[in-house]
Amino acid sequence: MAVPLARTPRRRAAARPGQRGAVTVLLVPFFALFGLVMVAPIGYAVWMSLFQERSSGLGFGGTERVFSGLGNYSRALSDPAFRTSFLHIAVYCVAYIPVMIGGALVLALLLDSALSRAKRFLQLALFLPHAVPSMIAAIIWIYLYTPGLSPVTGWIESLGGNWAFFSADHALSSMINIAVWQWIGYNMVIFYAALQAVPRETLEAAVVDGAGELRIAWQIKVPVIRSSVVLTLLFTCVGAVQLFNEPKILSSRASSLGSTWSPTMYIFKAAFERHDYGLAAASSLLLALAAAALSFIVSRIGNRGKTA
Amino acid sequence: MKPISQPTSRTTRLALAAVVASLALATTACGGDKAAAGGAAPDAKPVTLTYWGWAKGAQATVDAFNKTHKDIHVRYSEIAGGPDGYSKITNAVKAGNAPDVAGIEYTQLPEFASQGLLEDLTERAGDTVKQKFPASIQDLVTFGGKTWAVPYDVAPQLYYYRTDLFQKYGIAVPKTWAEFKTAGEKLQQADKNVHIASWPDNDAVLLAALAWQGGGKWFSTEGDAWKVGINDAASQKVASYWQGLVDSGVVNSIPAGSEDETKARTSGTVASFLGASWSAGGMTVAMPKLSGKWGIAPLPTWDGKPASGGYGGTTYAVPKGSKHVKEAAEFSRWVTTDAAAVTARLSSLTSPSSALPANVEMRDVAAKAFKGGAYYAGFDVYKIAGAQVDTIVPGWTFGPVQIATNTAITDAAAKGNLTQGLTAGQASAEKGIKERGLNLVK
Repeated sequence: MAVPLARTPRRRAAARPGQRGAVTVLLVPFFALFGLVMVAPIGYAVWMSLFQERSSGLGFGGTERVFSGLGNYSRALSDPAFRTSFLHIAVYCVAYIPVMIGGALVLALLLDSALSRAKRFLQLALFLPHAVPSMIAAIIWIYLYTPGLSPVTGWIESLGGNWAFFSADHALSSMINIAVWQWIGYNMVIFYAALQAVPRETLEAAVVDGAGELRIAWQIKVPVIRSSVVLTLLFTCVGAVQLFNEPKILSSRASSLGSTWSPTMYIFKAAFERHDYGLAAASSLLLALAAAALSFIVSRIGNRGKTA
Repeated sequence: MKPISQPTSRTTRLALAAVVASLALATTACGGDKAAAGGAAPDAKPVTLTYWGWAKGAQATVDAFNKTHKDIHVRYSEIAGGPDGYSKITNAVKAGNAPDVAGIEYTQLPEFASQGLLEDLTERAGDTVKQKFPASIQDLVTFGGKTWAVPYDVAPQLYYYRTDLFQKYGIAVPKTWAEFKTAGEKLQQADKNVHIASWPDNDAVLLAALAWQGGGKWFSTEGDAWKVGINDAASQKVASYWQGLVDSGVVNSIPAGSEDETKARTSGTVASFLGASWSAGGMTVAMPKLSGKWGIAPLPTWDGKPASGGYGGTTYAVPKGSKHVKEAAEFSRWVTTDAAAVTARLSSLTSPSSALPANVEMRDVAAKAFKGGAYYAGFDVYKIAGAQVDTIVPGWTFGPVQIATNTAITDAAAKGNLTQGLTAGQASAEKGIKERGLNLVK
């Protein structure tokens, strides 16, 4: 796989020498925008993270910005709220990923099986929640979780049950439910696409050998699409580190989540509630480092999956 | 490959938001330039002021001001109330394109002033504040010997109760917190579904007001140092009283401002609530069917003697960097103390405001213009609220780190209980004050 991919651009570059100028022209908009909206803000964040706002006495004599070196970083790292927010995400991942990835895989296999009907419709229907912006999705679910307003809580009660979606015990599962609803269809589509690449002759051979649908699914299809499962899994982790909309909106009702449940919520609070831009910048960069480390692991494991 | 877009699409959205925000800022910056040009040639053009707020009827007030003032023209932009609006103001100040006037609540005022986000109004509005407002209200806008804002309304706590439900269950209007508890227990015995009130987990400002009423002093100053008393005995007493009511089920937990809260009130599962003068206006629109069923009384107290805390209330302040402090101060004075302003604010409303002006003369004007009188048949909101102003316990100050303190309290209270919330608030406030380089009394 890797050899022809690498050869193609080299051959093209040799064929048209005048292309170099065109390439430069075409790349400039990208790098200009990249510099403007990525590199420059990050540079500014690094700069901001080195300063603190200080005043004296009662504080009514004005403020001054003082250089604090890595002070903001040590403040962020020594704040239990910041550290706990990463722990929350880890717990969230442990509960969310098996449900979401497992569910997406099962759905994709069901759709791919010879038995299923209306494949296109089901694909679209399952994918649709992903088209809803996560903010809107969270608001819709808040409505569905609110006792007295929601038909769902009404049904649970009419069946003799009782489930408080916003309570301290159930807030996490309520949040995971929103995320699963949003992402299961999306990942299902990826798995389904990967399944289309499974060689038909392999499947036919399995059928000839007498394997049933279930056996084909678990012993042939899943191993073949293993690398896309691994990739999805790890990208989901990276996305989870940046979780904001769902916990932020849910926390307005499930107060036990608190205002700093996820790292991004902590940063939001530092910047826009405490107006402590230095701390917000430092913790943003720490979060970016954590995400970068995770991405590195993602690509390493992903590549290993490919070569294996 | 597609899953990569999970993280990147968020980044793109953020970048887009940043572009939109900077465009918006650029637009306001243009406004500032025009205003500056107006200032340079006073004979040719009036000075243009930008005003950011969310108060009901603000547009009508501004229109009335523009009609009667030839030398100052005010342009009003509505911003979100609560944390989002305050962030917007803060960010605008830091970016150097702040409005000339902004509506800021008493709770946030010391924080804004101490973070260097406001112009000192001592020279321009100090006399207005001294001459036109009661001493207790002057304290809420004067820190470090300087005047930072012109107060608009004052919000003594009030007790709203369902007269029909109280009659049905044979309950008298409680005058003390002990009676309140007994009444709540009686209601629970009569009907498990009916609570005397709901407790908002997310509203530290209400807890502050109740602590204030009970004699607590969350923040105070000694010389040039702050003293934090969030965990003081009076506040702890208040917190454990309410936690007790929550634990025993006499009151139920419902977030403030939520749909559940409205639903609980309309369905009659909550028979009363703790509010302020401004609560009255919104109710007439939110629950029109309950017209004539609400009674208004002073808040129950600990010893039966009248006492109240402050629950909300807004001021007009001039954000740092305004080029027209003089005109902004003049507008603030007019809005808060001119009868035409108060009439305009109330008369044009589709949803009647019931804010009680801090200026005594304006109260009669507002009372006459208030449209919700029929809804509270037999109860004069303005008269009752006005009488309560004098019962506001003196000596209360909000802190320079109030917003973060409030969140620390609600966060800890949601995970544990209210008294733990106060302990966490105390720790958070002390830490916040030290981190900002301010002096702290040990």
